[in-house]
Amino acid sequence: MPAIFNALPGIEVPVSGIARGLADMWLDAAARGSAAPGADDVTATQVNFVLHLGSRCTPEDALRQFETTVRFSRRYPSRVVVLCPRFSEVDAPDMRAKVYGECFLGKSKSDKRCVEFVLLSYPMAARPYLESQVSTCLSADLPLYYWAHGFSTSSRLADYRYLLSRARRVLIDSSVSPDDALTYPWPNPNSLRDLVYSRLLPVRQTVGQFLARYEMPRLTEGLKAVRVAHGPELAAEGRVLLAWLRRRLSDCGPTGGCLDWKLEAGEARHLAIELSYATSDKFFRWHGDLAAKHATLEADFGHGKTELAAGASLLSPEAALSEAMFF
Amino acid sequence: MADTHRHPFLHGLSKHRGAPPTVVVIFGASGDLTARKLIPAVYNLGVDGLLPADFFLVGYGRKPIPDDEFRTLAADAIKEFSRRELEADVWSRIAAHTSYVAGAYDEKEAFDRLAQHITAIEKKLGRELQVLFYISTPPSVFAPILQNLGASGLAGKYLGQPHHAKVIIEKPFGKDLASAQALNATIRSVFEEHQVYRIDHYLGKETVQDLLVQRFANSIFEPLWNRNFIDSVQITVAEEVGVGSRGGYYEQSGALRDMIQNHTMQLLALTAMEPPVSLDAEAVRDEKVKVLKAIQPLVTGPGGDVARAQYAAGMLGGKNVKGYLEEEGIAPNSATETYAAIRLSINNWRWQGVPFYLRSGKRMARRVSEIAITFRRPPGTLFADGGRFDLAANTLSFQIQPDEGLSLILNTKIPGLETRTQPVKMNFRYATTFGSNTPEAYERLVLDAMIGDGTLFIRGDEAETSWKLYTPVLDYWKSVGRDGMDTYAAGSWGPANADALLATGRAWRQP
Repeated sequence: MPAIFNALPGIEVPVSGIARGLADMWLDAAARGSAAPGADDVTATQVNFVLHLGSRCTPEDALRQFETTVRFSRRYPSRVVVLCPRFSEVDAPDMRAKVYGECFLGKSKSDKRCVEFVLLSYPMAARPYLESQVSTCLSADLPLYYWAHGFSTSSRLADYRYLLSRARRVLIDSSVSPDDALTYPWPNPNSLRDLVYSRLLPVRQTVGQFLARYEMPRLTEGLKAVRVAHGPELAAEGRVLLAWLRRRLSDCGPTGGCLDWKLEAGEARHLAIELSYATSDKFFRWHGDLAAKHATLEADFGHGKTELAAGASLLSPEAALSEAMFF
Repeated sequence: MADTHRHPFLHGLSKHRGAPPTVVVIFGASGDLTARKLIPAVYNLGVDGLLPADFFLVGYGRKPIPDDEFRTLAADAIKEFSRRELEADVWSRIAAHTSYVAGAYDEKEAFDRLAQHITAIEKKLGRELQVLFYISTPPSVFAPILQNLGASGLAGKYLGQPHHAKVIIEKPFGKDLASAQALNATIRSVFEEHQVYRIDHYLGKETVQDLLVQRFANSIFEPLWNRNFIDSVQITVAEEVGVGSRGGYYEQSGALRDMIQNHTMQLLALTAMEPPVSLDAEAVRDEKVKVLKAIQPLVTGPGGDVARAQYAAGMLGGKNVKGYLEEEGIAPNSATETYAAIRLSINNWRWQGVPFYLRSGKRMARRVSEIAITFRRPPGTLFADGGRFDLAANTLSFQIQPDEGLSLILNTKIPGLETRTQPVKMNFRYATTFGSNTPEAYERLVLDAMIGDGTLFIRGDEAETSWKLYTPVLDYWKSVGRDGMDTYAAGSWGPANADALLATGRAWRQP
């Protein structure tokens, strides 16, 4: 699958010359009059970040994730390694490498952050040597984060034990991952984070802040139905939101009387939550229009009806990465 | 905060994402601080999604301002002073919950109207709101505001419940020990201490908070953080600006009251305190008070622990600038100091014999606030030949502003066949590592007060302990008029009389 490697930006260098390639890249940039980092800037690395592009990735999809990682690393300067496996054995047997660098200039003189990417393309025959090669590209002693995107089966990803066990967080997006990705017996299951859950932070916060002001029994007494409606492109978000509501409500008290936990189809770019109770004058509704970035909250838990407007959004992909990694 | 103690619907959210339904009432709503800092802080919290949907903002001031006009003023303040552009959808949601109440600060009926206004918001909303009062007025009206908050029942609103009323008070917390005690007595007559948040915006700065992390989360520093390894500590809060149009105010204040007694003492307390048993607000503040109480009384008079001066005409940024006595509103025989330097001794096991040097001044060479920890020089004669070895004392400096970060001076071999040394500086800059678009101090502090975290606020006994130290100095200076008042050229690093505070071989830093 060299198509992915070819689609991503960077300067191709010999694998044995990655370090030199990175240094030359900045020299070339300086020679062309572009911003080149001083030594301090380059070493302002906070984390090691490995983006692994699996077999389900198309070149366009890979480029999108690459660009997300670039935006993320502007905020959190990282040493990034991008893994581009080649699944076709007819390819050349050697590894290939590219280097990519970028300096982000902020508002102040000191606000200059530079990041370096190493892209590795490798045939499956080179897989046993990959881990050593990756280790030489990372910054020693700094934490490692691993984002596996577009992989076909969990068991195949499990072969990357080095990354899965050493990473402080393993990030997956359950909307594009195999069904068992969240339940697979990974080497360090506590490090697994679902980017869908992270993306939903603004929704969880708005709804959570609102409901947290009510006594717990009030939220569960007489609870009859919990419904989440979602647009067709937000099926994963709807599923994760319903699971979140189930966990949170169960922590508030017995929800055995609630037999109706339902996902429903809704309008495009809309998400909605409805809690229904035994009496019709007790309810909670949140309806978010993500396109308009607007939500409405309506509730009555016995103190009279409350109606509020609120913002409605999902975290951007790069913000979801940082939320999943650091919080 | 452990998730187990929180409402289940806040599990998985950081504590700053769990602010309760709140109405913030700003006293001094048409003032400068409100426009420059408070409104932009509220707005940026909204941009970051940190305000609850049921957040309300009420301005209170003497000047009658219609709600619409107050909202326009607020939007203008955001456009001018916010670190981020005004986003219409964010502002429209905040603006829809923004209103204004006009009234005098000593008018009980006006406070009753304010109480009714808040009750009406709650009634319309269908739920109770935490009320957070922000007193952003001149100190002369602190007392009537506090008294009327008590008389109107607003101070005690929902007391005993998690969403009880809270109050943020801006400095100055008095002008000497007696006035600080009087202010605290007034505060405590209407609020319980846990409801009170005395703000020092320095504590909201990232580097100041990072000081605790650097000290207590890195095992390499704490074993060295004592008299066995540290030679001295210098804390500098230097300003480039003069008094400008605030001469009248500054004449009643001076560098000691305006900067040393509050900002630099907070920096000192965080630098010198013992490790708290937890990051709980009371645990941190207990340790701060303990170390402040261990500071020895200052010796005033010639050869003592204090120096003061006024800036004279000089040159700053290549331009000639006036001296303090030529500034507008300044008495020709003014005895107000624009610079103060202090030598402190802390009488405890950790710091016995380590001098702490504090200084603050206006019209200094550059705007900088920093804490510099200078370590003792290594023993022995291995690198004693001054002709070959240029050894610097290891110095760890925390730069609070600008260019927040820290640096460490180390001695290194110069490449070459011969062994020669040179000091090198290892730098960590927040902006380079994390970007410079970090929250402003007021954003952090307003949100902390909303969620009831007092760690970064000053407790009443902290303020009094600090005043207890400095009131004798103020009394002495008042008694001697201009005697002992030195001058320094505007644009310099301070007066000669401050050098006398330093022991031989030490010098004021020029950061």
